[in-house]
Amino acid sequence: MTVDILSSIKGAQPSETVNTLFEVIKNANTSSNSFNDQHHNAVFLDELRDDVVLDSSPIEKQLIIENFPKEKNGFLVVSKVIEE
Amino acid sequence: MESQIHQIHQQLVSEEITCLSLVQERLRLLNTNKHATVNSLLEKSAIELAKKVDAKITSGQKIGLLEGIPFGIKDVYMLQGTYTSASSNFLKKYKSPYTATAIQKLIDAGAIPIVKENCDSFGHGSSSENTIFGAVKNAINPALVGGGSSGGSAVNVAKDLTVFSIGGDTGGSVRQPAGYNKVYGLKPTYGRISRFGLMAYASSTDCVGPIAKSIEDIRIVLNEISGKDTKDQTTYSSEKISKEAISTASEIKTVGYFKNFLETEVIDPKIKLDFFATIDKIKEKGIVVKALDFFEPDTLVSTYYTLAMAETASNLSRLDGTNYGHRIEGDTLKDSYSITRSENFSEETKRRIVGGNQVLSQGFSDEIYLKGLSVRDQIAKSFENDFKEVDIIISPVTPNTPPKIGASLKDPLAMYLSDAYTVGFSLGQLPTLTVPQGTQTGLQVTAAKNNDELVFKFANFLKDTI
Repeated sequence: MTVDILSSIKGAQPSETVNTLFEVIKNANTSSNSFNDQHHNAVFLDELRDDVVLDSSPIEKQLIIENFPKEKNGFLVVSKVIEE
Repeated sequence: MESQIHQIHQQLVSEEITCLSLVQERLRLLNTNKHATVNSLLEKSAIELAKKVDAKITSGQKIGLLEGIPFGIKDVYMLQGTYTSASSNFLKKYKSPYTATAIQKLIDAGAIPIVKENCDSFGHGSSSENTIFGAVKNAINPALVGGGSSGGSAVNVAKDLTVFSIGGDTGGSVRQPAGYNKVYGLKPTYGRISRFGLMAYASSTDCVGPIAKSIEDIRIVLNEISGKDTKDQTTYSSEKISKEAISTASEIKTVGYFKNFLETEVIDPKIKLDFFATIDKIKEKGIVVKALDFFEPDTLVSTYYTLAMAETASNLSRLDGTNYGHRIEGDTLKDSYSITRSENFSEETKRRIVGGNQVLSQGFSDEIYLKGLSVRDQIAKSFENDFKEVDIIISPVTPNTPPKIGASLKDPLAMYLSDAYTVGFSLGQLPTLTVPQGTQTGLQVTAAKNNDELVFKFANFLKDTI
């Protein structure tokens, strides 16, 4: 898949500047290509937040609606979907 | 520079000034400033809050240290009901539905948010020129950039338009503008402050960072906003840093610096000279200084940008104009997505999203993205080893002085490379403070992970030594 499709950006092309950066990484000397020996980022089960539904406050709901790009009778109007 | 927070607190308590007059004056200065630091002023709410503080003082009630202190917020933080544009066309009219944890803690302590500050769009930049609100102008020389991405925040502090500001640092975005405008800017240990409500750029290095004119003010703000937050599960509990604890640096016996940061041809000769003069002064105080080996600056920059672009491509994929933001309709849903994204994102943001999707795509991920992760691990390991040998690492903030406005946009590679000295500490998730001393763009003081207190101790030592 091309980067314009992957990025959902019309006419997007890879940048030469960014490719220059990637070349440095490709050629970098690494002692190994594994990255699994130092990752201790797990969260303990006791520290997980409670699995409960928190209702948004009325002002939060109001602001979410205000942010709708298109709104009709309090509902979000989405772009037309055409099945391919 | 002494603590402005303590000074203003004293003036408020003794009724030498009113909070209303203080806030009104700062709002007036922000409104008329010529450095393009303001995205939106929070006039109405700020005045209401100031009146409440005055009423409290008049009625004889005690106020907290941060109560009534006006502060600025980089325009990537949620503050309920205010525009939060990320300096982008996409979110120009977006209103925060909720408030970021760090900002809420400051409000709970009585501090008054007065301005949403200009920055590089979504944090994508090192000059605060990638913004729809116009390039931020340097506080010292307005022909030069304010630095980035938290440029508006650093300039506001330097020009006394805010007492302190809350910036965001992913690869140097607090430390570099702090250096360019000669103020203090802290990137704490990753996870010390909750990122909840900070628009995500590269989640694995994003940090909330205070900017102020004194070490003491940075300390006060850091203590207020640190702490575990269930809404950001990378946060951890931390002890408050006391004023007394950081008044002495006697436990610091050894300081290191990366010799390859100084041996490169790209460093400004004056910055190099000044850095070594600082090293000499530190040695004169009986501290052992060690030259350390580290990764080449171009490897650090490439590693950082590979990972940051991958993360931002993922984080910004949510911006498609469906639920919020500036939607541009196309013939089909997919068309709407791609037109909306191509028209609304800046060139720099598109460059990073496309780069990120490149490295995450099949055929590229192994030789670039996974290798980047591997280099990052080696960087972290290298820091661990370094801090077995030294207590503190110091380095220049930038290889060069601030560029002229316009130069960075023409040469993005030069802009990326200007982050050479800051990104390594981000990848290592280490606490790093810019102090406005030692070189023309300051010095970075770094300690081992979770040892933010030691950074403050050494910064105080430097204040008295150089």
